Amino acid sequence: VAEADIISTVEFNHSGELLATGDKGGRVVIFQQEQENKIQSLSRGEYNVYSTFQSHEPEFDYLKSLEIEEKINKIRWLPQKNAAQFLLSTNDKTIKLWKISERDKRPEGYNLKEEDGRYRDPSTVTTLRVPVFRPMDLMVEASPRRIFANAHTYHINSISINSDYETYLSADDLRINLWHLEITDRSFNIVDIKPANMEELTEVITAAEFHPNSCNTFVYSSSKGTIRLCDMRASALCDRHSKLFEEPEDPSNRSFFSEIISSISDVKFSHSGRYMMTRDYLSVKIWDLNMENRPVETYQVHEYLRSKLCSLYENDCIFDKFECCWNGSDSVVMTGSYNNFFRMFDRNTKRDITLEASRENNKPRTVLKPRKVCASGKRKKDEISVDSLDFNKKILHTAWHPKENIIAVATTNNLYIFQDKVN
Amino acid sequence: MLGRGLKRKLSDYEENMAGLSSAFDSSRNLPYPLKRQLVLNMCLTKLQTYKMLVEPNLHRSVLIANTVRQIQEEMRQESSQQPINVCSGIAPNPHSYPGIDSSGISLHLPSGSSQQESNCCNSWFAEGPIENSLLMVSDDDMSSAISSILKDLDFMEDISPPTALVPAGDDELLKSPENTCLKLEDDRQDLKGAECVFGSFEISNSTSYLKDLAIDDIFEDIDTSMYDSDFCSPLLMAPRPPAAATEETLKTFPSCNSSSTNNIQICRTDLSELDHIMEILVGS
Repeated sequence: VAEADIISTVEFNHSGELLATGDKGGRVVIFQQEQENKIQSLSRGEYNVYSTFQSHEPEFDYLKSLEIEEKINKIRWLPQKNAAQFLLSTNDKTIKLWKISERDKRPEGYNLKEEDGRYRDPSTVTTLRVPVFRPMDLMVEASPRRIFANAHTYHINSISINSDYETYLSADDLRINLWHLEITDRSFNIVDIKPANMEELTEVITAAEFHPNSCNTFVYSSSKGTIRLCDMRASALCDRHSKLFEEPEDPSNRSFFSEIISSISDVKFSHSGRYMMTRDYLSVKIWDLNMENRPVETYQVHEYLRSKLCSLYENDCIFDKFECCWNGSDSVVMTGSYNNFFRMFDRNTKRDITLEASRENNKPRTVLKPRKVCASGKRKKDEISVDSLDFNKKILHTAWHPKENIIAVATTNNLYIFQDKVN
Repeated sequence: MLGRGLKRKLSDYEENMAGLSSAFDSSRNLPYPLKRQLVLNMCLTKLQTYKMLVEPNLHRSVLIANTVRQIQEEMRQESSQQPINVCSGIAPNPHSYPGIDSSGISLHLPSGSSQQESNCCNSWFAEGPIENSLLMVSDDDMSSAISSILKDLDFMEDISPPTALVPAGDDELLKSPENTCLKLEDDRQDLKGAECVFGSFEISNSTSYLKDLAIDDIFEDIDTSMYDSDFCSPLLMAPRPPAAATEETLKTFPSCNSSSTNNIQICRTDLSELDHIMEILVGS
C-alpha cells in the first residue's frame, strides 16, 4: 500500500452530486455523480472521477527543523453560489480555498492567431471575423483562490464553515481561529486553552464545528470527553462556554484506560441543528443541545473491544480517531470500526447493522451481507471472533449523501460507495 | 520524506510487551498492582519513544501523561496508607515466589497479601529481560519526566511567532547566517540536555539526580572557539535556555532559506574554516 494513497478525509458537497476525498499525499480527488438515467431508473447515478489536483505539498519549517506533512486532514465544501464549486482543504498548518470550474467551450476564429496559438503576420490578414465559442471536451480546472497560513502553532484537526457562508473556523490542539473567507492575512482567535505553564496541560481540543443554523454558535470537543458549546456574542474570546456537555463516568466500567477511551474523536451536528453526535473510542453518543448532563442516546460500536484495551493501547490502536456521520433525515447514524467493518444505527427502530467494505466479499451490485462479531464463547457460523479481527484494516472516514441513501466509506486506501437497493 | 526522528526498536522488548498486554487483557487473576505497574511501564515507554521523535503527537502525549499522573496519584495514596515504600528499587529474593520462571513472563502469581504484591512486582520485573526503564521510579522523577516532556513540547511547538513565517530576503540572510546557525545549534544542544535528563530514566531514589547532571559535559562538543574570539562578538548572541526564548528574540532570526537540512553542518564547517583563517591571521 503506497502511503501517499491512504485516504484521510471524505466529504459530500451540499447537493451530493460531488464527493471529495483527500489523501496522505496531499491530493484531492473529486467524484461526480452521473446524471440519472431518467428512462431506466434502476439505480442512481454512479460516481466517476471528476477532478484530481495536488492541494498541499510537504513543507519544511526551518525555524523548528520540522517537516509539515502534506496530508489532507479535512475537506469542507462551500454551498454553490455560481457555476464554480468551492472547497476548503487543510493539512496540519495551512488551509486553502480551491475553486473548481468547468470549461466546455473555447473561442475559435481569432484574427491574429492561428488555431495552435502562433501569431499570424498582420499583412496576411485580408478579412476580419468575430471569434465564436465552440464546444470542446470538458476540462475541469482547480485553482487555489485563497491560502490561509501561519495561524496555527499546533496541528489543525477541524475546519467548519459558518452558516453565514462568509466565515469559517479552524481548530488545532489548543486554539480555535475564526477566519473570513476573503481575508487571508488575519484571523481571530476565539478559543485558547493553552495553559500559561505547559506542564499543567491536561486537555486538548479534538474537534470543532459550527452550528448549522445559528451563525454565532459552535461546539468543540476535548480529549477528556467533554463538549463545550460557545456563543460568539458573549465575548470575543470564547474561553467560557455557554454549555458543557459531559456524561458522568460509569464506575463499573472504570479502568486505567477510561480517560483515553473517553477522548472524543469527532463531533457532528444533526442537519436539524437540534442534536449533536460525538464519537469516542467505543461508542457513539447523541446529545440534545438542551440537555447537558447526559446524552439522549448511546450506541455501542464495538463493545467487545473493552476487554482488549491493554493490547489496543500497546499497539496504539486505542488512539485511532473514528469519524461519524448523520444521514440526510437525521434518522440513521454511521461510523467505522476495524476489519473494514462499519456500523449503522437506526435511531427510530433502534436496530443496528454491521457491514464490511471489502472487494473479496462483495461484488458490485450485490447486496451487502450483515456481519457479526462474536465476543466470547462459541462462535456461530459466519461470525468472526474478536481475535481474528484485522486491526490494520480500519474505517476511520465515512460520509452520507445529504439527500439520498448513498454512503461513501473509506478503507485504508480504497473508497467504497454504496447505495440503497432501489426496487 | 525527511527524517521524523528515531524510534527505538528492541524487537525482544516489543514482543514481551505484546505478550504482557494480551496477558493483561485475558488474565483475570492478575493482581491489581501488577496490572497497574504494567500499564505504567507501557505509558512511560511510550513517552520515552515520543521524546525521540522530532515532533511528538500532543494529543497522545497528554492522554498518556494523564494516565501516568492518575496511576502516580493512586500509588501515592496507597503508599501513604501502607508502610511499604512502593517505589523501592530493591528486588527481594525472587525465589520466594513459586511459579515465576526466569523469563519473567509467567503469570502464575499467587494472589497473596497486598503487602507482598508490591514486592512481587519488583522481583517480577527484575527477573525479566525487559529494560531497566521498566523498573519502578520515584514520584519525583515521574513528575519531572512529565514536566520535561510537556516543556519540550512547548518549546518545539510554540517557538514560531504568530505572524507570517515568510522566508527572509537574501540580503538579510547574508548578513547573519552564523547567528541563525549558532542559535539553532545551541537550541539543539539544550534540547539534548533536557532529553538526557529524561532519557536516562533509570531507577533513582535520589531527587538530586537532576542537580548532579554536569551541564558542561553536554556542551563538550560545541566548538566554542568562536565564542572566545573578539572578532565575532558583535555578531554573537549569548546562548539562552530554551524556556527563556521569547518571540521577539526569535523574530531577529530570519528563517534559513536553504532547502537543505545540512545547513547546520555547513555552518559548522564554515566556522572551523574561519577558525583556521583566524589562526593564520593572528599568526599563532
